[in-house]
Amino acid sequence: MSTPQDVAKRRWWRPELGLALVVLGLGVFVVLGTLDVSAAASQLGLGPRFFPMLVGGSMIVIGLFYVADVLRGGRGDPEESEDVDVDAPADWRSVGLVSGIFLAFTALLNPLGWVLAASLLFFGLSLALGAEHKVRAAVVGVIVGLVTYLLFVKGLGVTLPGGLLQGVL
Amino acid sequence: MQSFQLLMDGFAAALTPVNLMYALIGVTLGTLVGVLPGIGPAMTVALLLPITFTVPPTSAFIMFAGIYYGGMYGGSTTSILLNTPGESSSMITALEGNKMARRGRAAQALATAAIGSFVAGTIATALLVVAAPAVVSFAISFSPADYFALAILAFTAVSSVLSRSIVRGLASLGIGLVIGLIGIDQQTGQARLTLGVPQLLDGVDVVIVAVGLFALGEALYVASRLRHSTPEVVPVGRAWMGKADWRRSWLPWLRGTALGFPFGALPGGGAEIPTFLSYAAEQRLARGVAREEYGKGAIEGVAGPEAANNASAAGTLVPLLTLGLPTSATAAIMLAAFQQYGLQPGPQLFDHNPALVWGMIASLFIGNTMLLVLNLPLAPLWARVLRVPRPYLYAGIVLFAALGVYALNGTVVDLIVLFVLGMLGFAMRRFGLPVAPAVIGLILGPMAEIQLRRALAIGAGDATVLVSSPMAVILLLLAAGALLTPVFRKLLARRTPEAPAPASREETNQH
Repeated sequence: MSTPQDVAKRRWWRPELGLALVVLGLGVFVVLGTLDVSAAASQLGLGPRFFPMLVGGSMIVIGLFYVADVLRGGRGDPEESEDVDVDAPADWRSVGLVSGIFLAFTALLNPLGWVLAASLLFFGLSLALGAEHKVRAAVVGVIVGLVTYLLFVKGLGVTLPGGLLQGVL
Repeated sequence: MQSFQLLMDGFAAALTPVNLMYALIGVTLGTLVGVLPGIGPAMTVALLLPITFTVPPTSAFIMFAGIYYGGMYGGSTTSILLNTPGESSSMITALEGNKMARRGRAAQALATAAIGSFVAGTIATALLVVAAPAVVSFAISFSPADYFALAILAFTAVSSVLSRSIVRGLASLGIGLVIGLIGIDQQTGQARLTLGVPQLLDGVDVVIVAVGLFALGEALYVASRLRHSTPEVVPVGRAWMGKADWRRSWLPWLRGTALGFPFGALPGGGAEIPTFLSYAAEQRLARGVAREEYGKGAIEGVAGPEAANNASAAGTLVPLLTLGLPTSATAAIMLAAFQQYGLQPGPQLFDHNPALVWGMIASLFIGNTMLLVLNLPLAPLWARVLRVPRPYLYAGIVLFAALGVYALNGTVVDLIVLFVLGMLGFAMRRFGLPVAPAVIGLILGPMAEIQLRRALAIGAGDATVLVSSPMAVILLLLAAGALLTPVFRKLLARRTPEAPAPASREETNQH
């Protein structure tokens, strides 16, 4: 929908082709990945491989049609949503930041514990998504981290890692 | 009148203080997530699935049903007060609703939406009471082959209705089916597609898939294209409407209900088509003032579609409860909830768990009444919810997504899987793959496999058993018809002098 794509209209590669190839690849993966599943357990020739073969085969056909469709210039309509400007160019910096912050959170969750890691997650994400007041974002982040911990661990008996603050809370 | 007696028993079950509390929590939460952008009833029910370990089934389903209905109410508030297309089911409401709001008639638009939703929800739930036992007595004779054909119909119908391009709908469905294959085969105990990762032996949890595709996928998508201007929310007081508005609204409500309920009950029917049909019907039927106002904010264009989308929500419960067939993403997640309790919706459910089924249906009447009370006087409160700063909103959504997924098994591996699925959800949104078929494929896929293998076992390996009953043949023909819709569209386009329909191409792989 955006200008860079219009410029690249003549080129055969478009990002959507990547998704189409993933679909095709999934089909191949299903067929190859279930080759080692033996059907010996079934007496009627309907072992655990039958349905995966059906799904995998269908996915390959769908994937081929999808690839062909993209190559011939077809494109899906980007989903419309309340907070999305469909005509805006993709902001890859934000996507990268959000991904990085989320992955950092998964790495830090066990060592730091839920309260600290979740506070940092909230703080980082709100800044990445354009929050202007750093202090306010930090305060809200800490409150959310604390409240969810107390509510879910003390109130609902969910297990969340205590981390550095283990024993303090 | 046996079902009336059962319904009364259902009311007795639903009217206990505890269950009333669950209903109230459900409808409040449902309205909240319906109002909030970026989060909907499907994801909310998915995040709450773990409560099935501690809460009795009747209470859980009363709450889930409340969330489903509440989401429909809340979505209309967003469409009317915020001029952006929101959830697809209330997209049509925005057409006239937001124009009404801009002309200073927000209170009336919200009132006709809320009262219309109440009227439609109540009538449609009554229709559910009548229709469900009828479908059950019909479905009791279904063979595994019939159930398999029904699943195929649901797959193709959902894939072809929800996307302009059927290839993309089917691709989404296939992604769900593949994820559903991962794990141990239920009949033979063989591991499939686990790549040797022991955590994958139990399969990928529905919660992770739903939360990844919906919540994280949406957050990443929003990050890529965030609207940087602040949303313009039309200010509103208590929702109310005058005599003239009542006179103009009641017929559209009834017509919307009549359109919404049957479409909701059909596989692949959903809420989109009936709301659109209702809008078009009201436009054609508009006379006098309504005719002049149509396109500039006519109350009929809000009343009809809003009634239609609530009626379709009740309609969705007919195939879900009587056949175990989900026709929307939220219904699919509710089916997953039934499975967590070891229950299988279908004719047997009505026999074995009448208290659960009828308690849930009775709670729909109660929930609808609660929603009316919640939405008319509290409209200004929901309008304020709409002003939540977006950075905090999406940061919060991701935080709750991580919390819900981590709490499942207490392992970081699940968070990594969540991230991968989030990226997939992002790509699907960006390239126009509808998400609902993936969720339906994930949950209905394993059931389709069981029915297929059962059917072929009965037929001793003879594949013609799949088309041995007239019911199965009809269902499979309908499924083929759904796959061929783009061809019909193309033929129609060729007959008219306009340019041929773009993008979509036919797809003929399944049988």
